[in-house]
Amino acid sequence: MHQSAPVTTGGPAIELVGLSHRYNIEPVLRNVDLTIEPGEVFGFLGHNGAGKTTAVNILTTLITPTSGTARVHGFDVVAQRREVTAQIGYLPAEVRMYPHMTARENLEFFAKLSGVADARRAVTETLDYLDSADLADRRVGSFSTGMRQRIGIAQAIVHKPNVLFLDEPTAGLDPVGVRQLRDTILRLNRELGMTVFMNTHLLSEVAKVCTTIGVLNHGELIYKDSIEATTARFPDETSLEDIYVRMESIPS
Amino acid sequence: MIATIARHQILSLRRQRTFLWLLATFLVMTALAGVLGWSSHRTIVGVYDESVKLLATQGLPAPENPFRLKPTLSLLSNMVVYIPLIGALLAIVLGHISLADDETDGIGRLVFSRRINRTTYIVGKAVGAAVVLFSILAVSLAVSTLALVIVNRALPSFGEFGRLAGFYGLSLLYLMVFAFVGMATVLLTHRRSLALLTATGVWLVITFAVPQVTSGLRPTQSLNPITDPVSTSQAFFRATSKARPYSVVEQYKQISGQVLETSTVKGSLTGLLSIAALGLLLAIAIVLLVQRHDYSTGTSSD
Repeated sequence: MHQSAPVTTGGPAIELVGLSHRYNIEPVLRNVDLTIEPGEVFGFLGHNGAGKTTAVNILTTLITPTSGTARVHGFDVVAQRREVTAQIGYLPAEVRMYPHMTARENLEFFAKLSGVADARRAVTETLDYLDSADLADRRVGSFSTGMRQRIGIAQAIVHKPNVLFLDEPTAGLDPVGVRQLRDTILRLNRELGMTVFMNTHLLSEVAKVCTTIGVLNHGELIYKDSIEATTARFPDETSLEDIYVRMESIPS
Repeated sequence: MIATIARHQILSLRRQRTFLWLLATFLVMTALAGVLGWSSHRTIVGVYDESVKLLATQGLPAPENPFRLKPTLSLLSNMVVYIPLIGALLAIVLGHISLADDETDGIGRLVFSRRINRTTYIVGKAVGAAVVLFSILAVSLAVSTLALVIVNRALPSFGEFGRLAGFYGLSLLYLMVFAFVGMATVLLTHRRSLALLTATGVWLVITFAVPQVTSGLRPTQSLNPITDPVSTSQAFFRATSKARPYSVVEQYKQISGQVLETSTVKGSLTGLLSIAALGLLLAIAIVLLVQRHDYSTGTSSD
C-alpha cells in the first residue's frame, strides 16, 4: 500500500474526556473518560443499547456529542472534523455500498472522497493486500455477506488511516468469514500499525484479537484494562464471557 | 469533490432501471406529442383538401390552408402539458432516488465519515440530477426536432430551433424545482415511502391546487356561467387571483406557449423569476436541511 499514513499530533490515538450524549432526553453516554494508545486493538463491549455505536458515531464525526470532548490523534471531532476524518477508517455494522456498481467503482469513489490522489492505484493495492482482487470488477449487489465485508474493510483502509473503527464487524459472517476478518484485523494492526477500535459482542474474538477491552454499561464505562490484566484480575473465571457477565452484574 | 459526487451519481443512476424507465417515458412522451401533432396536422389538411375540392365544384374560391396560419412548433404544443404532468413526477423520482439510496443502504455513514462536507455533497447530488435531466431533455429535443423534420419535410429554421432550445431550457429549470422537492422530502422524513408520498403531494398542490385557487375561478363557474351572482362575495377570489404570477405551473405554461408561439397569452418576466426563485429557495432549503440531517442511522426502506 503506497500511500503514507496521515500525519498525527502524537499522544493518544483516541481520547474521550467527560463524553456524554443524549437522544432527546434519554442519556446514552454518561461522562465517559477513555484513552487508547496508538497500536492498540481495543474491544468495546456492552449489551445492546449500552451506547457503543453512539460512541463510534461521535468518533467518526457522524454526530456531535451533547457534552465533553472526543479527540482522535489530538484532533477534536467537532472543531477539527476534516483532520479527524483523514485519520480514521470506518466499517459500520451493515455494509451495503452502491449495489449497481462494481467493487472497484465503489472503492475509487470512497478513495476520492478521502482525498486520495491516485485512487485507482490505491484501490488496486488495497484489494491486493486483502487478497480480494478477484472481486474488483464484480457488482457489489451480487456479493455474499463475507464478500461485502471484505470490500467494506477495503473502503475503510483504502486511504490508509491511522485508526480503524469497526462496529460489530463479525455480524452475519460464517466461521470462516470470522476467522478471515480476525486475521485481517491482526495484519492491519501489526503490519500497518493501525489502531483498531472494535465494537463487538463476540467475546471469543475479543480474546483472540484485542489487546485492551472496555466495558460500557448503560452509557457508563465500567471497566478498561488489557486482556492480560483482565484475566489476572478475575482468576476464578474460565473465559472472557464469564468475566464479562460478572462485570455487567457488578454495580458501577 | 463536487465533480466526484456528480459523476458518481450519474454513473449510479445510469446503472439503475429507474433511469432507463425515466428516459423511455420522456422519449415516449415526446414521440406522442409529435404523433398527436402530426395526426392533428393530417386531419386539418385532409379536411381542408376536401373543402377545397367541394368549393371548387361550386366555383367558389378556396380560403388559405389553416395549417399555414399555425406556427411550425405548434406541433409540439402537447409537450407544454406533458412536462408539468409527467416530467415533474419523473423529476421527483430522480431527486428522491438521488438521496434516498444513500440513506437506505447506509452509504451516508461511509460518505460522512470522510473529508467531504455536507454542502459539497448536496451540491454534487444536485449537479448530478441536473446533468441527468439535461441529458434526458437533450434526447427529447432531438426527437422533437426529428418529428418536426418528418412532418414539415424541412429542417427547423435557426429561429425555430432557438425557440425549441429555449423551451427545453425553461423545462430544465422547471424540472429542477421538482427534483429539489424530491430531495427535500427525503431530508425531511425518515421513511422512503413517506418522502415520495409527500413529494407527490407537493406536486399535486403546485400543479392543480394553486392554479385553481389563483385563477379566481369559483368552483361552480364552469357549470354556471354567471360571473357575479347576487349577494355572493368575490373578495376571496379577487384576492387569490393576485397570486397568479406565483403559480409556477401557470407561468411555465404561459412562457412555454410564448416561446413556442403556440399560445396568444404572453408570459412575463415575473413568471420566469417566480420559477427561478422557487428553485433557488428549494436549493437553499436542501443545503440547510442536509446540515442537520442524521446520517448515523439509515432510513426505513419500507
